[in-house]
Formats: sequence, C-alpha cells, structure tokens
Amino acid sequence: MTFMPKIDDAVLQVRDMHTHFNTDTGVVKAVNGVSFDLRRGERIAIVGESGSGKSAMAMSLIRLLAFPGKVVSGEIRIAGKDITRLTERELNGIRGKDVGTVFQDPMSSLDPVMRVGDQMIPPIMRHLEIGQKEAQAIAIEWLDKVGIPDAKQRIKAYPFEMSGGMRQRVMIAMALSCNPRLIIADEPTTALDVTIQAQIVELLKNLTAETGAAMLFITHDLGLVARFANKVGVMYAGRLVEFGPATDIFADPRHPYTQSLLRTIPDTTVAKRDRLLQIPGFPPDMKMPMVGCSFRERCAAAHDYCKSSAPDLEFRTENHYAACWLPAGLDGGKTAEDDAPKETAKSASVAPPPRQDVLEINDLHKHFVKKSMLPWAEPRTLRAVNGVSLRLNRGETLGIVGESGCGKSTVARMLLGLEQPTAGQIYIAGAAQMVFQDPYSSFNPKMKVFNIIEEPLVVTRKGTRAERAEKVRSLVTQVGLDQSYLDRYPSQLSGGQRQRIGVARALALNPSVVVADEPTSALDVSVRAQIINLLCDLKEQLGISFVFISHDLLTVRYISDHIAVMYLGEVVEYGPAAHVFDDPAHPYTRALLDAIPSPDPAREANRKIQLISGELPSPLSIQTGCAFASRCPKVMAKCRESKPPIKAFSKQREAACHLVD
Amino acid sequence: MLAYSLKRILQLIVTTLGVVTLVFFTLRLIPGDAASAMAGDTLSGEALQRLREQMGLSRPLGEQYFSYLRGLLSFKLGETITTGLSISSLLLSAIPITLTIALATITLALSIAVPLGTMAAFMAHKGYRTLDNLITGAAMLADLMPSFWTALVFLLLFSLTLGIFPASGTISLEDPRAFLMRLALPVLVLSVTQIAAMARITRTAVLEVLSEDYIRTARSMGWSELQVLFRHALKNAALPIVTIVGLSFGSLLNGTVIVEFIFTIPGIGSLLVYGINSRDYQLVQTLIVFYALIFVTVNFVTDLVYKKLDPRVQF
Repeated sequence: MTFMPKIDDAVLQVRDMHTHFNTDTGVVKAVNGVSFDLRRGERIAIVGESGSGKSAMAMSLIRLLAFPGKVVSGEIRIAGKDITRLTERELNGIRGKDVGTVFQDPMSSLDPVMRVGDQMIPPIMRHLEIGQKEAQAIAIEWLDKVGIPDAKQRIKAYPFEMSGGMRQRVMIAMALSCNPRLIIADEPTTALDVTIQAQIVELLKNLTAETGAAMLFITHDLGLVARFANKVGVMYAGRLVEFGPATDIFADPRHPYTQSLLRTIPDTTVAKRDRLLQIPGFPPDMKMPMVGCSFRERCAAAHDYCKSSAPDLEFRTENHYAACWLPAGLDGGKTAEDDAPKETAKSASVAPPPRQDVLEINDLHKHFVKKSMLPWAEPRTLRAVNGVSLRLNRGETLGIVGESGCGKSTVARMLLGLEQPTAGQIYIAGAAQMVFQDPYSSFNPKMKVFNIIEEPLVVTRKGTRAERAEKVRSLVTQVGLDQSYLDRYPSQLSGGQRQRIGVARALALNPSVVVADEPTSALDVSVRAQIINLLCDLKEQLGISFVFISHDLLTVRYISDHIAVMYLGEVVEYGPAAHVFDDPAHPYTRALLDAIPSPDPAREANRKIQLISGELPSPLSIQTGCAFASRCPKVMAKCRESKPPIKAFSKQREAACHLVD
Repeated sequence: MLAYSLKRILQLIVTTLGVVTLVFFTLRLIPGDAASAMAGDTLSGEALQRLREQMGLSRPLGEQYFSYLRGLLSFKLGETITTGLSISSLLLSAIPITLTIALATITLALSIAVPLGTMAAFMAHKGYRTLDNLITGAAMLADLMPSFWTALVFLLLFSLTLGIFPASGTISLEDPRAFLMRLALPVLVLSVTQIAAMARITRTAVLEVLSEDYIRTARSMGWSELQVLFRHALKNAALPIVTIVGLSFGSLLNGTVIVEFIFTIPGIGSLLVYGINSRDYQLVQTLIVFYALIFVTVNFVTDLVYKKLDPRVQF
C-alpha cells in the first residue's frame, strides 16, 4: 500500500504496520495497518481521540511498547534500518541516538532520584562516543538552548527542584542531545499551562528548524496542530483515516471524522450561540474483529456498503488522502447529526430572569501559613487568594481563567465552604454545589449510580424514600441519560456519562450556583462538546448560575457571560466574555489569548503573537508592585513600585493595570 | 534536615523514657516481688522484710524509680537479683552474639532476597509468568513456616544428619571460626522468613517502578534492560525495601529469642528467657529497655537512610 513516492531524504518510512496487545481477555488490535513517510525537517501531527491507537503507533516506531504490546507485522525504516528486524541491542543504539522521544507528563518522566546531569550525560557519552567532560559540555549547551537559566548550576539539580515547564525543557534537551534525525513527541504539552505550552511549542519548532530533524507529534489539540504541524495524520480505530498537508486538512477536510472533530471546537472568531457539534457514540472495541468502515456507527453519511467493506486511504487532492467511500465525506451526503437545541417549551416557561446577584464575593483572602519545626524560624505565608471581589447574576455563567497556581480552585473551594476564608465575605442566595474535574475518581466505585445521585438528598434528609427515588429519576433524565443507568456502577460508564452523573449529583439539592472546576479537562474533544452543551441547556432550562473554572480558554469563552482573569490570587481583568476576548485590556489577558493556538493554520501562520517569558512567580514571595511585573512585556518603572488596583475603565469592564485608564 | 534530626532525637528520648517507665511500673504491678522470688519458700515474715530492705524494695516506689533512672544513665545496671552477677557484664558478653546473628541474617537475607525479588519483578514485567510465580510461591511457602519449626528441621538436617554445623558447644569470640560455625544455623533459620518477606517486597516495589514513566524515558535513551533495572529501577525501589528492613528488625529480634533458646546460644534472648523464668525483675526490665533502644535507633537510622536515598524527602 505504498501511496507515496520513495524519496531519498525520508527519515521514517512506515509500511502497513500492525501492533497488537495480547491481553487475557483478547487481542487488542491497537494499530491496524498504518503507512506513511516522514522527510527531513517535516513536522507531522497525529491526532485522534484516546483509544485511537496514536500513542501505540508512536511507541511502535521504536518498539517501546509495554508488555504485552508487540509490532506483529509491517515495516518501519529509520535511517535505512528496518526497526522490526533489529535485535534489542541494535535497537538500543538507535533509541536516543537516531530517535529522540519527548513524553507527555514531565512530572513523572524524569527519574526522581537522579540529578539531571546523571540522566543526560551517560547517553551522550555512549551515543556520541565521547568522554565525560565533553558530554557534560554538550548537556549544558543543550540545557542552555532549551532555555534553562543558569544551566551550569541547574545540571546538578534534581527534577523535583524544577517546575513542570522546566522539566519538559530538560526532557527536550535530553531527547535532542544526540542530534536525532527523528523526534517523537507524545502529547508533550498536555500537562502544561497554556502560556508554558506556547513556549514549549515555539521551542520545539525552532529547534527542529535548526537541526533539520523530522518530528512526529501526537496531540488531541487541533489548535496546536494548526500552529505547529505541516502535515497531519488523523487516526481512528488504529488506522489513518486522513493524511495530508495541514493547510489542506483544516481548509478542506474530507473524512467525516476529521470534519466532525473540527466542528467540535468552539470558535472564538464568530459570534457564539450555535450549539457545539457532538460526535455521537463511542469508538469501536478494538478487541472485536472489524468488518467495514470502523467509523460507520458514528457517521451521519454512512451507507450500506460502509458495513461490508472498509475504504483504503485514497488520493483526494495533491498529497491529501482520505479513507472514505465518499470523496467529500459528510459535505457530499447528509450533514452531521444536527443537534439543534431542543426548542421545547423552555423559552416560554422561563421568563427572562430579573437581574439579581446570586453570588457576591467581597475582598476574599485565603492565606496558608506554614510553620517551621524550628521555633526561631519565621513562618511562611502562601497567599493563595489575595483580595478577590466578584459577583454573579442569576442565570449567568462566570468563567474564571488563569494558570495553575493562580488561586482559582481555592476560590471554588471557599465558595463551597470547603475552606474558610482568611478575610472577606461570600454571599450566596441559595446553595452552591460542585461538579468535579475527574469523573473517574470523584465517585465511590462501590456505589451504584442511583445511590451516588441520591446521596446529597440522604445526607440532608430530604423527602421520603419514594420522593427521593422520583427526584433521582428526573435528575438522570435531565442530564440526558436513560433511567436504566441508575442500576450501574461508575466503572460501567464512559467518561462523558460519568460527568453527566456528576452534574446530576450537583443538581440534586436544587442549587442556585453550580461551581464547575475544570469539568471537561479529563474528557476527549467530542465528549467535551456534549458536556458543554448539557451545561448550557441546564442554564437555560433551570436558570442556574454557573461558576466555570478552566484553563481551556476557548471553552470558557463559549460558555461564559462574564470572565474573570486571575493572576497570583488576584483578579486582573473582569468583563463580558466577548469583550475580554476580542479586546483584552490587561497584558496578562493578552498573553493568555496569544498563547492559545487557533485551529486554522492560515491564521496561525500570519499571527503576530507575543509570548510571555518565564513562569508564575512563587506565591510565597511578597511583591510591592504589580504581581505581573516580572513577566509583563509592557512593564514600566511605576509597575514595580505601586500595585495597580482593579478599577472600572468602561461601563462593564474592570482591569488592574497602570496602562488602562 | 537539622530541624528534622532534632525532632527525631527528641522523639527518640521521649519514647525510650516512656518504655523505661512503663516497664518499671508494669513489672511492679505483678503480684510477688523479687525478694519473695529470691527467697522462695525458705524465708518468712521478718526475714523477708529484711531482705526487701536490703534490696531497696521497701523504699517508696518513686524513689526506686529515680534511682533506677540514674543507674541507667550512668550504665550502672546493678546486679541480677538471683545470682548477683553484674548485669552490665552479662549484657556486654551477650550483645555481640545477638547482634552478630541479627546483622548476619539481614546481610544474608538482603543479598539473596533483593536479586531474587528483582528477577521475579523483571520476569513479571516482561510477561514470563512461570518464573515469577515460582519465586513468589516459594516465598509465600517460606513465610508460612514458623521459625521454631524450621529451627528443628534445620537442626535435624544440618547437624544431626549431614553434620555440617555443630548443634551445641561453647561460644567465644576468641575462636572466630568456631564462633561463626556455631551461629550459622540460627542465622540460616532466621533468614528463611526474612528472605521471604524481603523478596516479596522487592518484587512489588521493582515491578511498580518498572511501569513508571521515567523507566520508559530511560529506555527511549537507549539504556539496555539490565542498565534500566540497576541504574533506575532498583534505586527507586530501594525506599520500600529499606522500610521493610527497618521494620523487620523487630520481628528479627523476636526470632533471636526463639533460636537462641533452641540452639542454646548465650545471647540476649537466652538471657531474657532466663530472667523471666527466675522472675529477675532487674534483669528483665533492663533487657526490655535495651530492646526498645535498639528498635528506636534502627527506626531513626532508617529515616536518615531514606533522606539519603530520596532527595525529595522533606521534613
């Protein structure tokens, strides 16, 4: 199935690769015949949902699969050698030397009990066949190149002494230290904050341009793909379903799956209010034998012949291939599941609510004091929240954004009374409930769904047993699940279904405010859209107010009426969502927005972005001036001397910056 | 680190003081005192009272307690009540024997259990379950055998049938060869359980580490499987292993009492058995304090080793 001409400068050639995992319960066919080429200097992004086999595919390339994974057939050529035929010893000569790998989670990908230098230097000595001294010099040079300040000293540091962003830089320095021809990056920025993610992506782009290495980049973030890649491969159920130049794929996607994926992302440029498209159903079970097109169950354009035989990757336009019987995918046939808002009686039954505050926060502070065991040492104060004032109208959504460590989750905990504020007041008209981030760990696995939803009612002794059962049944219908789910355990549900249960549980006590702390960050894009749509519907139907906390700015923009941007425990900008996004006033807001890649390669190419350097300063230190002064591109002398208070600069908007008047 | 060490040393002192106090008063709650034990049926009324005064037993309890504390601090441990021998010289001759048994057992156990457990973990990680099951199964079986039973079996096998090690005889440091030959059997017996426990812990710890992300990173840099195992995996797995070694010291001391009794070895354990049988309070309370002191010290050392092994440990 060679669909691409053989070219001499091909760094990587994959032909009909199959990877299987022989588990006790059956053979998981994770990769089912993938073929592609990668040339020098090319950056290819592999996108797909979790379970699409993209990581298994990437790890197969250097046979780094955990037991019981195995490349069962096909050909992988790197530097002219067929990886599938090499011995373990020959492989070890290629790993690290010809192929560098950057992994997803920098917090766990470096050996915690070894100094950075001890992890970096020995592979350099081995692969480049040089001595300890020269290897150390190379290691320091690379650390310097990836932006580790004071590399000479930091090479002696342990990973735990560095932040996540710094560790990922170390990972990159390590992966590149032997000048590999190919770099495999498995979701290298997923665990990082947007601002750091933007820095890392810039860094990888520059370094590959400099060294001419080819790069295979795995991600589920289509915005990143647009910013980073010049080729895209879309994976579904272990196969490439679409492959081509990034500009083509974004401008003219041909496979129904790619087309749907692109429509699940909230768009910042156009006025919102259309419902997000959601892809129905689930990816197929990879243990089952597959007949026909694997996407047909979820495809709106599926025909009878999709059941009987699977389409191969076929030529569409120049270098652009798609595996679908329909040349134009969805656009040629029916439109995708048109999930228009169900125009039931809701608009009639809920009159526009009177504007009134359901939540008011005044000058909220939370300081954590850590005492030393030595009586003479000064106790240290961590100012997690430092004077936050916010209000929220009935039936509206307030989005809180900011990097990790900015205090947004602490605010959420105080709203629910899980933490006591050090100073300041919170007024809530009614009750507040929470939807948690991780639907996999926020339920007791030994409780049935019915009992999970019923629990808050039992705790507060609401109603009789029959009334509670009635309430639970209506709740589960309200979040769009069938009542038969009530008898199941959380482990029998998918991530999206679990998060629906989380929402139902939060609604059980008829709260006036629901606090959602990163409710979609653990979910796949297609499922994320479902949950966001659900929250929007509930807001309209029940008149509930939401506090939506997230670092995913596109989602926040989509769902929120007002947005508060937090930095180091303070609100630096507040205003209507559209205004804040279209015309950010505070330099930090601007930087955050610049950091988000937009899913449009053409726009990304022309975009002038100003990335902020550095990382969040420690909240333990006490600043006299503006908290953002250390990273602000527009910093003035005044900023370091006096702290700008947050003040209104137009009718609806507030910002804390000396430049805004 | 300084703050932590200070705190731990303070804890160590308080714990030891607590043990001393508890032992002192508990032993005096038991009906019948040292004087009556010593006298047996031979003395009555007045004579017994005289003996008590002579032994200082008629003084107020608080006074006895403080004089005992003073004695401990200056290592004046007094004499055994029954035989009148100096307790400190008894201790000095028994400690080397018991400590040799304990340390030899730990060394032997570690040098067998760690490679065995690592091998099992590696095999399990690679999916070769047979060897892993074999090692794990054997460890479980060994763990089930009580040491008094293994002691008797080993005695039968190695001394009486094969005649490799002596079953009895004098023990003295002057003849190191004989000394070691005589201690070999108790060490072997004690090692069986220790090896079983440590091998299981090592297997679990290494297996867990092997699926960590940084192991994959090491492989991606071209380290061979063996290098990954020894450079990265074992170093990270050392923490739980050190913990179990520290904790098992307690059960090990327990074991020495039994094997010393069975193999008639004049260590601390035999001394304790003798002291209890003859109701020699002076001796028993000193020995218990000694055991407590060893245990607390071992824990203290474990924590310091922890800090040394894992730079992340914060106090």
